[in-house]
Amino acid sequence: MVTLGQYLIVSGLLFTIGFAGVLLRRNIIIIFMSLELMLNAANLSLVAFSRFRLGVDGMPNYNAQVFVFFIITVAAAEVAVGLAIIVALYRARQTTHVEDINSLKF
Amino acid sequence: MTIGAPILEVEVLVIGLFVLMVEAFFERIDKRTLAFAAIFGLAAVLAASFFLAPAPTDVATTGFWSFYTADLLAIFFKRFALVTTILVLVMMVDYAPVVRQSVHGTTHQSGLGEFFALPIFTCVGLMWMASAIDFVMIFVSLELVTMSFYVLVSFTRRNPATLEAGVKYLILSALSTGFLVYGITWIFGVTGETNLARVTAVLADPALESGPALFGMVLVLVALGFKIAAVPFQMWVPDVYQGAPTPVTAFLSVGSKAAGFVVLLRVLQPFFMMPQMVKALTIIALLTLLYGNLAALPQTNLKRLLAYSSIAHAGYLLIGVVSFAGEAVAYYLVAYLLMTLLSFAVLVVVANQTGDNIEDFSGLAKRSPFLAFAMLVAMASLAGVPFTAGFLGKFYIFDAALRQHQTTLVVVGVITVACGFYYYLKVVRAMYWDGSSIDAPVPVSRLSRVTMTAMMVAIVVLGVYPQPILNALK
Repeated sequence: MVTLGQYLIVSGLLFTIGFAGVLLRRNIIIIFMSLELMLNAANLSLVAFSRFRLGVDGMPNYNAQVFVFFIITVAAAEVAVGLAIIVALYRARQTTHVEDINSLKF
Repeated sequence: MTIGAPILEVEVLVIGLFVLMVEAFFERIDKRTLAFAAIFGLAAVLAASFFLAPAPTDVATTGFWSFYTADLLAIFFKRFALVTTILVLVMMVDYAPVVRQSVHGTTHQSGLGEFFALPIFTCVGLMWMASAIDFVMIFVSLELVTMSFYVLVSFTRRNPATLEAGVKYLILSALSTGFLVYGITWIFGVTGETNLARVTAVLADPALESGPALFGMVLVLVALGFKIAAVPFQMWVPDVYQGAPTPVTAFLSVGSKAAGFVVLLRVLQPFFMMPQMVKALTIIALLTLLYGNLAALPQTNLKRLLAYSSIAHAGYLLIGVVSFAGEAVAYYLVAYLLMTLLSFAVLVVVANQTGDNIEDFSGLAKRSPFLAFAMLVAMASLAGVPFTAGFLGKFYIFDAALRQHQTTLVVVGVITVACGFYYYLKVVRAMYWDGSSIDAPVPVSRLSRVTMTAMMVAIVVLGVYPQPILNALK
């Protein structure tokens, strides 16, 4: 039987991997993938919390599951807009590496 | 005749869709007409907001009113969002020539309609955010605002600096979204609720293990720190503000920040009895004040200077939040709206002729006394000269902080205000004392002239007679 704690550990790991990816990787596409990983970490723990915190009538707390659908939808919209911006950047600069994007400094 | 508060958002949404549809199907018309139509429509909605039916005051357990509230704070910030959007649209009309140059398209006005439609959708998001009392609602409306800003920030995509700003904003905003969602997850995990009032009720139980909820709250604070540009989550601000199209920068610095503060005021309520929270916010406020004001000192680009100034103002607003002074925060935000949008409005017009560095403002007093005077009023108010709204705003904030015995914050605040005088008056000196190689007058459209005059009058009037704003929240 998988416990709530184990789900939370996996979700925490996913979040950490995502955050580390954002901080350490240098390719914007991979940074963007890591960001999606962070959102999915939240989804996993939301579903786990919902499944393990049964209400008085023995049903899962569906608020969290509905919230997960909102997160999935928003993440999809974010990818649509985000990838469009990254493609526009690639067309202008022929690169997706963060080191090359440094013209704005004082 | 009265109408329900949720109708306001629907009306604004319809205006936005209308502008978008006309943009899509009518290529021939002058797109600036769309902006004027939108300004008129939003002004009508603003007028309608004074005839609202009273909303149910008790929090419903299920259904619409458990997500949405129409209390005084919400109505106040709905009007705030509408006024901001109207002023930004006025600025965008002036900015239209720049958009034309830097967007690919078949006709010379391609994409201009979208440029006018997106702020309206952002406005809907801001208005929903003002009313959100449930974490799901907060998340969705926050994302509506952020997503429209992604497109707006990188709108003039032939300009490489804009694209760079767009990508930076995209990555860091998405990161803050990740923190927000994960934080909400933990608060939900502990309390089993997403509605703020019920989260408060559950957290008030002393037997509850509140550690994980506090962890979640810290993550939510990180996310909101991004939105309001508080140190140490401010690193995106200077680059994005400098690279984005100027009216969008203005919108970002007023709309996004105000919405962040409304959510902050609402979300912090369940957690304010915890002393750790107040301590953490005090430290963030101190760092924000010092960083914003000190980093602004050596700036030579006016947009970048205003970016650091916006960080500094987030610091003063945070003093108000830490001192539980909701009214002082609201008044300060109104003053901030007026003076920031006024300075950006002048910047848009002047930058069309020369550029957005401070030296481009040299001798503006001779080229256009009106614009120079408008900028003088904006800068004086931002610095906090008496008889301006900026002065009274700081006064109320410091007064509230003294009542809560936050002496350190007040001392640092007053010192940084002195610091602010230096860099704001640097712009004034350039305009009035430095000579200029150009002496062609700067053309100002009649609409911007009227708007700027209105903002100047509002700054001075609210600086001596603040009662209308203070009473709006009572």
